[in-house]
Amino acid sequence: MSAVIETSKLSKWYGNVLGLSDVTLSIEPGILGLLGPNGAGKSTFFKLLTGQLKPSIGTVTVFGEPVRNHHRVFSRIGLCPEQDALYEELSGWDFLANLLRLNGYGRAEIASRAERALATVELLDDKDRIVRGYSRGMRQRLKFAQAIAHDPEVVILDEPLSGLDPLGKRKLIRLIKDFGRQGRTVLVSSHVLPEIEALTSNIVLIHQGKILAWGDIHYIRDLIDAHPHIIAVRSTAARALAAHFVGEPYVHKVQFENSGDLVLFETTNRERFFDRLTRYAADAAAGVEEITSPDDNLQAVFDYLVGT
Amino acid sequence: MAIAERGYTHWDGELQERRRPWWPITRHGIRLAFKRKYFKFSFFISLMPAFGFLVGIYAAEKIQDFKVMIKGSPTLLTVDPGFFRAYFAGEFLLFMMLMIMVLAGAGLIADELRHNALQLYFARPLAKKDYFVGKAAILVFFLSLVTLAPGLLFILFKLIFSGSFRFLGDYPWLPLSVIGFSALVTAFFSLYTLMISSVSKNRRYTAIMLFTIYIFSDVLFGIFYGSFRSPYFALLSLKVNLQQVGAAFFRVKPPFPVPWAYSLAVLLAVCAAAAVVLHKRVKGVEVIK
Repeated sequence: MSAVIETSKLSKWYGNVLGLSDVTLSIEPGILGLLGPNGAGKSTFFKLLTGQLKPSIGTVTVFGEPVRNHHRVFSRIGLCPEQDALYEELSGWDFLANLLRLNGYGRAEIASRAERALATVELLDDKDRIVRGYSRGMRQRLKFAQAIAHDPEVVILDEPLSGLDPLGKRKLIRLIKDFGRQGRTVLVSSHVLPEIEALTSNIVLIHQGKILAWGDIHYIRDLIDAHPHIIAVRSTAARALAAHFVGEPYVHKVQFENSGDLVLFETTNRERFFDRLTRYAADAAAGVEEITSPDDNLQAVFDYLVGT
Repeated sequence: MAIAERGYTHWDGELQERRRPWWPITRHGIRLAFKRKYFKFSFFISLMPAFGFLVGIYAAEKIQDFKVMIKGSPTLLTVDPGFFRAYFAGEFLLFMMLMIMVLAGAGLIADELRHNALQLYFARPLAKKDYFVGKAAILVFFLSLVTLAPGLLFILFKLIFSGSFRFLGDYPWLPLSVIGFSALVTAFFSLYTLMISSVSKNRRYTAIMLFTIYIFSDVLFGIFYGSFRSPYFALLSLKVNLQQVGAAFFRVKPPFPVPWAYSLAVLLAVCAAAAVVLHKRVKGVEVIK
């Protein structure tokens, strides 16, 4: 399969601030998740891909053509930006039709495309409502509709799931996956690991403008699993709980907190730990009240991967 | 229902090479302007001087019909270059042009900055210059309707009412002056408006700035001229500069004894500054500023 998007040593600085550094990627059709915390450089990367920013160093090509000042290639790209980019005073239909006009379609084609895109995101019944009255989820779906209305081969979605309720997320995830299955190239960014996991197994980890890891999500998961996890267990019999685990080879550290009712376990084998903990907690005398994993978030993963 | 099941398949048609990629922006802007009732009212009022001057041309040519009114005066009104200068560089028309800019132009870029719409535009097959042309064409359309169109109509009606081409024989350069000054005043107001519109996300602020800068420049001129009596302070006033250049275009005596080329230089400098500001302000939104 040939690469649709290729970047070579792509870098961008904003004055002294590094936005993106030395990114060389070859992106093929399918869904690619761009995972990174806020400020990692995901939006910068997308803006470079859509020619809105000029690279400080390096090149970016889409379909083998440079994107900067090469506007015809944009008829094959759909962008769903992170921020709201909607005309509040227009109806959903007018908003979409105006943008489709910029793509060069005639009146009949605009009507048919706008209707199809709005139907796809289930906004057809609300097409004549003013955007100002749309809910957060409807706005996100309208933004998605404008990105797909011209039937692009490359779809770039910057944090498309942020702010959506679980039902809205599920609907949009289904739409995005459908697009990927159609052989299009879909780039999705997020700072939430489960969101990306729900969309694709092919991810790029980006942090402080640099690519940390790239490939199958299971590989990243293995890296994550290799790093010691902290699990906090609140129990009325904390000392007995600690004594139960302290001899286990996969438990490296046991620590008491909060006047002794909270035990922090550090383990490199979460599965074995939780297996044993579940069996232990089933006994009412164990007094387990709460189990949390304070470092089970993306920032902890990044901290581990970058060695901080 | 999945997208594939809806038949969301590739379009087989060919996208035509567009000769006017800016036109959708212009059309949308003109439509939006006419949806605003204050704009419609102001635009209608700004056409009033043109009707008045057309009536003046008719009255001047059909002097016999108005003998009773003028009581022995040889002429009611002389249609000459001064007549055209009076229309084009008149206080009322310039003020109404400013009002048109405030009502139709203040939000042209400000609204898009507020809505983050620029990234959507520039992620489409639209060049930055097409975007500028599309926005400027909205203002050019409205301004031409109160400058170029009436100016050419005046000449046409003068020829029709007089029944001869002698007027053009006397002033063969006049059509070019009408076109030239219309182009200058339209370009100046368009660039000035787009520049101000791009400096804020709030259309109210940009409307106030458009109005205030124009009026304040004239007030400043009045203050300095009143104190020092030097006509060169006329260069501070955008309005007086337009009147000075207008007088030169129509070959009549300028209001102030200052070389008109200086006024033209001031107007061109404002246009150049506007182009620089627009270039810097209108771009895909930066992640870090």
